[in-house]
Amino acid sequence: MNLLSSLLAEDVDMNFEYVASVVITGLTVVFLCLIILVIILFLFGLVSKAQRRYNEKSAESNRTEKTTVDIAIPKVQEVKTVPDVEDGIEEEIVAVITAAIVQVSEKSGKRLALKSIKTAKPQRTAWAAAGLIDNTRPF
Amino acid sequence: MIDKFIDTLRDLAVTSGFAGFIADGGWKSLIMIGISFVFMYLAVSKGFEPLLLLPIAFGMLLTNLPFTEMYHPELWKITGEGIDFGKVLHEGGLLDILYMGVKLQIYPPLIFLGIGAMTDFAPLIANPKSFLLGAAAQGGIFFTFIGAALLGFSAAEAGSIAIIGGADGPTAIYVSSKLLSSGGFKIDTGTIALAAYTYMALVPIIQPPIMKGLTTKKERSIVMGQLRPVSKTEKIIFPIAVTIVISLLVPSAAPLVGMLMLGNLLKESGVCDRLVKTAQNELMNIITIFLGISVGATTTADKIVNKEFLGVILLGVAAFCLGTACGVLFGKLMCLITKGKVNPLIGSAGVSAVPMAARVSQKVGQQENPTNYLLMHAMGPNVAGVIGSAVAAGVLLSIIPY
Repeated sequence: MNLLSSLLAEDVDMNFEYVASVVITGLTVVFLCLIILVIILFLFGLVSKAQRRYNEKSAESNRTEKTTVDIAIPKVQEVKTVPDVEDGIEEEIVAVITAAIVQVSEKSGKRLALKSIKTAKPQRTAWAAAGLIDNTRPF
Repeated sequence: MIDKFIDTLRDLAVTSGFAGFIADGGWKSLIMIGISFVFMYLAVSKGFEPLLLLPIAFGMLLTNLPFTEMYHPELWKITGEGIDFGKVLHEGGLLDILYMGVKLQIYPPLIFLGIGAMTDFAPLIANPKSFLLGAAAQGGIFFTFIGAALLGFSAAEAGSIAIIGGADGPTAIYVSSKLLSSGGFKIDTGTIALAAYTYMALVPIIQPPIMKGLTTKKERSIVMGQLRPVSKTEKIIFPIAVTIVISLLVPSAAPLVGMLMLGNLLKESGVCDRLVKTAQNELMNIITIFLGISVGATTTADKIVNKEFLGVILLGVAAFCLGTACGVLFGKLMCLITKGKVNPLIGSAGVSAVPMAARVSQKVGQQENPTNYLLMHAMGPNVAGVIGSAVAAGVLLSIIPY
């Protein structure tokens, strides 16, 4: 029992004064605790908003930098890599995969090459794969 | 030889459970078994909080079958040195052993761990004002305390009954098991748990008339703005901040709030998948079974078939109604202050009962405006209600001597 209850322990008669003190103290403390949390969360929200704004700004400046990089790309990709594309795969798919790889190359700074594109063999469904991973995961 | 045969049959008859029903006060056990059947029916056929109501009802059945010796109320009587747990371990039945988790206040915080691992506090973080609605709905607890005092209950009993208004089963069990731990009371933890879970199941029936009665059609039709996105960092810092603030202000609330927030931190950290899975599923389910059956076991005939239980039932429903009304009225106040940006219906979700109370707000709101989606807005006060009721529990435990 804490200090507050030990102070009240002497008087446990359910008289008006005691009941009123429980109700008023109770409501006040509950509101006080939660108001403090409201203030903390509000301040936290402000910090978060400022952080988001900063991130957006830096992302925007990165984008501007990227434009200059874009201009330089043709020079970087002078080494020609002709991927071995399996018959039946459409040109659009090859273009999408190539674009994705160029994008990743730009971000990581590594020169990635697309060597071949093949149709994947039929595999487990997502559910079966998830089940397998779950069952074989070490403790 | 025939005499011996008849004697054996007589002995068997005397020691059988049927003889227990004929014995003094045995009829009360029959009533309790009947009540357990009603609860089983409500859980199975009507889907009223079946995960807890069914184990509670079965515990009630087991404890009221004469001579089963699974639960011994006499072992839980307080002596000069408190409860003799050694005696409970040596002489107790299965349900006595399981009941130790309730008496030692182990199960409710562990259930809170699971709840924390399942709760998304993002709507509350995005709209911190929701905390105020969660606080307002706790008014039901404290106003019911007045009613219990007027009906002649002692401070510990009144506090135990009042906490039903928090609409949070584990909190009600935690508070009542502590406040009533000294024994000699007219009610017990089982009575409180039974009333709390019954009313929690009845939230969709109890709340809508109050919500409609206290709001205008125009207020119920208010469409609230979209909530801001919440970052992962905020979600991780939230449980740590709440634990520190609440535990420093109301230390008695620390076991409940601390475990709730630990569960949430495990979830939001994203690095404890296995622990989160256990807290959400296996641990939660095991504790739910233990809690339900052992609480049900305490509902012996002499604790239920009396006028005090009727008082608990009446005050319990009053607590729920008052909590809902306080939340809605505070919602109206916020609506007024924000010039119509807050739909007062989300205030009723401030009583815990996650997520049922939020669903009720959504449903009542959609009755007025089918394109209005209040669910995420109502989840804010709803999860704030869980924290609020834990704080209220801590306050009751601090103020009321036990």
